[in-house]
Formats: sequence, structure tokens, C-alpha cells
Amino acid sequence: MEKKPINTKQLVKDIFRHVFIVLMVAVWLVPIVWLVVTSFSAYDGRDMTNFFPKEWSLIQYQKLFTPDTVANFPAWFMNTFKVACACCVISTLFTLMVAYATSFCDFKSRKPLMNLAVILNLFPGVLSMIAVYFILKALGLTNTHLGLVLVYSAASGLGYLIAKGFFDTVPRALCEAAKLDGASQARTFISVIIPLSKPIIVYTIISSFLVPWMDFVYAKMIMNSGISDMWTVSIGLYNMLDKSLINTYFSQFCAGGVLVSIPISILFVIMQKFYVEGITGGAVKG
Amino acid sequence: MKAATTSSEHITLERDLTSSGRFFTDLGTAITKGDLFVKLSILWWGAGYARRKQFFKAIAMTLLEAAVIWFTVAFAVQYVPKIGTLGTVQAEQVFNMETMKTEWNDYDDSFQILLFSVLSFVVWFAAVLVVLKNLVNVYQLQRREELGLHINTFKEDVSTYLNEKFHVTLLSLPVLGVVMFNVIPLFILILVAFTNYDQQHMPPTALFTWTGLTNFINLFGGGGLTLTFGYSFARVLVWTLVWAVFATFTTYFGGILLSLFLNNKRTKFAKLWRALFIVTIAVPQFVSLLLVRNFFADNGIFNGMLTSAATALGIIAEGTTLNFPWLTAPGWAHVMIIIINIWIGVPYQMLIATGVLTNLPVDQIESSRIDGASTSQTFRYITMPYVLFVTGPALVTDFVKNINNFNVIYLLTQDVYTTTNQALANSQATEVDLLVTWLFRLTQDYYNYKMASVIGIAVFIICAVFTLVAFNFMLSGDKEGVYN
Repeated sequence: MEKKPINTKQLVKDIFRHVFIVLMVAVWLVPIVWLVVTSFSAYDGRDMTNFFPKEWSLIQYQKLFTPDTVANFPAWFMNTFKVACACCVISTLFTLMVAYATSFCDFKSRKPLMNLAVILNLFPGVLSMIAVYFILKALGLTNTHLGLVLVYSAASGLGYLIAKGFFDTVPRALCEAAKLDGASQARTFISVIIPLSKPIIVYTIISSFLVPWMDFVYAKMIMNSGISDMWTVSIGLYNMLDKSLINTYFSQFCAGGVLVSIPISILFVIMQKFYVEGITGGAVKG
Repeated sequence: MKAATTSSEHITLERDLTSSGRFFTDLGTAITKGDLFVKLSILWWGAGYARRKQFFKAIAMTLLEAAVIWFTVAFAVQYVPKIGTLGTVQAEQVFNMETMKTEWNDYDDSFQILLFSVLSFVVWFAAVLVVLKNLVNVYQLQRREELGLHINTFKEDVSTYLNEKFHVTLLSLPVLGVVMFNVIPLFILILVAFTNYDQQHMPPTALFTWTGLTNFINLFGGGGLTLTFGYSFARVLVWTLVWAVFATFTTYFGGILLSLFLNNKRTKFAKLWRALFIVTIAVPQFVSLLLVRNFFADNGIFNGMLTSAATALGIIAEGTTLNFPWLTAPGWAHVMIIIINIWIGVPYQMLIATGVLTNLPVDQIESSRIDGASTSQTFRYITMPYVLFVTGPALVTDFVKNINNFNVIYLLTQDVYTTTNQALANSQATEVDLLVTWLFRLTQDYYNYKMASVIGIAVFIICAVFTLVAFNFMLSGDKEGVYN
């Protein structure tokens, strides 16, 4: 069957498919290309007529690293980085802990707890945001980075399902063997299960690290004092596009966008492999 | 019988001891058959442990009890008694004769009363659970002593938290986090829906109070001045559902189609194409969406390029400009938002579909080909049912996610789209709002917490009903038991 000579029908199909794919890729990349080329523009505001800048320059990047009263990109970047690191540690621990408990431990309230988690997950975060804000206010944590870390990671135990799905596929015989060797549950978790779970741990670490870089809503609500040095990248860049600022900062916004996107894209590409596995893994292997 | 139990007797005894499995049965036995110290444990939590010489545990429970009592006396009593009225003393500035200064009076803060009362109830609920569980535990100790079984030392008790009770160690902190940042906020959200908490009733300067079902009546078409709220709710709800359906299905089928094209064996450079699509979603949404919004702005580059092209082709006269309201007029904006969402969403779905397609049941496809099925038949009767089966549950969660897709709508339309519909404007909604973005604007810009809470509850009910219906469908695909 394989050795058949290529017929013209097949050839036409192939050509059509490739043309289609290339067209789609081109359409999909237009905004990204625009982002990159505008960041190298010498003109500050929005250029209405030219897709490619008339005059190329690195000045936007230079401006980005010389903070002024509106924009302090280096500080925003560092703030986000700090929050992301803290968040990453807490979220990863919480997620793995809950996943291990629900997957390996046998206790009476396991099912009820999991059902409760399903119901809680139905309430979208935006809805309880008001109350979260007031709780942080009561604790004196609004306009602090600690507040942001708590908001991003405190309830992260609810996102345990993907990790649990992974743990569910780990052979139970391993745990039995460890138990026979006299290992405690805690030891089994740390020395047997964790080393086996590298893919899901990498996925959890990266995805929780990305949360503060991607989030916009919570940051905007909690860091509302207007002190721009405290902001994270997302609110800072959003602010650059304010009606009164857009004509002086649009190209800088693009430069900032490019700089943020580079590390995130790299992490994202590493993560996406596990993302697919996590979403579909359990069902496929079943 | 006492110290002379053999090991086999030991095991039978241990088995007798294992609880009936029903918490309340155990509790009943503990209360009826427990000795004085077990019963005393209701009042002094450490009593039962002290009697069995578990002194560390006794001290720990006593300290915990002291903490709860201190919390109640020093903190909760200030707020909980006022929960019925949510405060009566309005904030005022009064002249203090002693210090000769104008000072704030000792006013009530309705929101603090609400927040801290909820917190107190949660703490007390937990305390009651601790007391009941404690009763069962100390009765078990009593039984062990009666049967002459070994009673754990403190060190042994601690080590159970790394063994049989390891789940307690693992779950306590994450659960605490969820309670603080998820459960308590939800209770408050629900309670605020029954109050008049809005811009005219903003603590600390003003009080708010319970108003029963007024807000719900207003939202679901109650008469009077708030007539527009019912109208806006219906408009926004319809668009939310239309959006969720389109957003879910366009990206879902777009993703499958794209991954089919890319997965085709005869496609060259498939990896490169895939990587290029992934780049578009790797850029954070607040960057890409804000950029796209400027790309399609009224005086933005897309209109600019269209103008140049049209001028060059002689369709429009020199000097005139095209100003299509891509994101600023109803209709236009609705379509554009869905199209832009395809741009955002298809690569995601492509990733998932690729993962699913690489796991296709190859043998089935082989055999169907041998049976003489055409490519399209194989696709229709084997590939598609399989993909639907595997990704069906994800489709349900996607739909719920899209109902709450805050980012796309907010970043594309906030500060850009202004409504000309007076009725919508009166209730601070726009034609392109989803329920969640409307809710967000109500709280952030208009401090209308009462209506935002009602909308929040409505969103939850919609999502919950939808998920429950879909859940029955998903139940058949539940594979958890296979592994456990």
C-alpha cells in the first residue's frame, strides 16, 4: 500500500493543506510580529498607518530601564519575580500534599472532601474577590506582596486534580513494598513517590510560577494604592495604555511585553508537554 | 485478662476496638458508656487524656481550649451579638471635652461585624467538631485501658501523624488556606446579597443592614426605579450564554481541525508550525489582548492599513479614512470578541487534541481500513467518537470557564467600549459584558456590592446546574476506580 505512486489527487490535497497551514500561521503571528517590530520603533505612540516602524531603534528598551514616575519596569519585574517564587513554593507543596492525601491515603472523609472541592471549584475566583479583598484589608495585607502571594497560593490545594490523576497511575505495589520495608507513609511520600513524579512536579512548579505573571485581576484589585514601584508587571503595563499615557508609552509597552514574554514563553513551552499529559493522561491511559 | 493477653487475643481485641465506622454511633457510645472523665472532656478538653496519663496531649488540648475561649471572650463578643442589626451606632465626629479634640465616636462597622461574625461561626463550628471527635478519642482510650491494651506514649502519638494519620498532616494547611480564602469569602458573598451594602451604605462612615430578598427581586425584574437591572441582567445573561457556546465550540473544533492537519503524516515541518502556534499563547494574555485591542482600535493600525489598501485600489477617495468600529459598536464587537477568542483559544485546544490524537486506537483504524473504509469514514466513525469521548469532560469545564472568562472580555473592552443603551448604562452594564465583568465593574467602580453578590450567586447557580447535568454524562467515564 505504501509504495503506491503519488496520485495527483493526493498531491493537490497536500498542497492545499500546506497552504492552509501556512496561511493560518501567518494570521496567528501578525499580532506577535507587530508586538516585536513596534518595540523596536523610535516613535513613542501608536503609529496608525505603518505596520513596520519608519525608524528602527533600541530606544524603547533603553527607556524601559530608566524608570520614571509612571513606569518602573525593573521594579515591576523584580516584584513579580519575588511573588512568583514564593507562590511557586507554597502552591507546589499544597498541590502535591493534597494530591498525595487524596490518592494514596485511605480515610473516611476522603470522598466528601473531594466532592466539596468540586463544588468550591464551581465558584469562580472573581466572585469571591470582593470578600477576599476585605479579608486582606482586615489583616492589613492590601498593597503588600505578601497579600498577593496569599491570594495566589493559599487556596491552591483546590487545584490538586491533575496531580492526583498522575498519582493514581503510580502502581500501588510500590507503596506496599515500601510499607513492608518498614517505611512510614511520610517516608513513602518523600522517598518513593516524589522521585517518581518528576513530570507532574515540573508541571506544578511551572504552572504556579506563571500565575503571578499572567494574572491581572487580583493584582489590580489588591495593589490599588497607585504607588507604581509596588506594582507587578501586568498592572504596570496595563497602566501604560491608559488614555492619557498611551501616546507616549505604547512602544514601551511593546518592549515590556516582549521582555516579559521571552522567559514566560520558554517556561510555557517546557510546561505544555506536561499540560497535555495532565489534562488527557488519566482518561487516555484508562 | 489484664496484662496476660497473648498476641492473637491482642489482635481480636484491637479489632473489637475499631470503631463502627459511623461517627455518630461512636459518639453515642462514647457519651452513654464513657466514664466521668470522658464526660468531663466536654467541659475540659484535656480531662480524658489526663486521666490516662497522656499529659502532653492533655496540655495541648487544654491550651487549644483556652485559645478558643480567649478568641470568644476577647474578640467574637464584640461582633457576633450585633449580627442581627449589623450595627446601630453611626460613625460621627464628636468633641471630646477631656482631650479638647474632635474625635470619632465608638461606631459600628457593619462589614467588620459581618466578616468577624462569619469567622467566629467558622471557628466555633471547628471547635464543636474538635469536642465531638475528642469525646470519641478519649472513650477509645478508656476502652483500651479497660481491656489492658497498650496506650500510646506522646512520641507514638506524634508518629501516627506520619503514618496512619498522615493525611491529617498533609491536608491541614491546604484546607486552612481554602477555608480562609475560599470558604469564608463565599459565605460573606452570599450574606452580602441579603443586605443593602452599596455606595450609600459604605462602612466605616455609614451602616448597612439586612434587607431580605429585595436585591433578588430587583435583579429578576422587580418594578420601580431598578427596572433597568432586570433588563440588563437578561441582556447580559443571554450574551454570556451565547458567548460561552460560541467560544467553547469554535475553539474546540478549530483545535481538533488544526491538530488533524498538523498530525497528518504527509505534513512537512509539523513541529515548526506547532511551535509557532504555541508562541501566540505563550505571550501573557494581558499583553496579547491589550495589543490586539489597539490593533483593532477605531483609529488603530488595522483601519489604517485598510484605508491605505482601499485608497490604492481606488475604492475610496483620497483623504477619506475608514473607521470601522471593530470593538466599539454592538454587533461588531460581539463578532470580533469571538474571533479574537478563536485566536487565543485554538492553539490551546490544538495542544490538547494533539495529545489525544497521538493516543488514537491504531488497531481500530487499521482494521477499518482493511475493511475498506475511506479516510472520511474512519474519521467520522472512529476518530471523532474517540476524541469526543476522551475530551468530553474537558468540554464541560471549558464551557464553565468561558462563562467566567473574565480576561478576554475585560482586557478587550474595558475603557474602550461605551454603551449607548440608556437602560444598560443605568445599571452600569454594557452589551459586551459577561456576568463576571459586570460584577467586577459594579464592585470596583461603583461599590455596588449588594447587586454584585446577587449576580455572583446567579453565576454560581448557572454553573452548578450545568455541571450537575453534565456530571451525570461524565459519570460513565469515571476511571478513578480502575487505579485504586
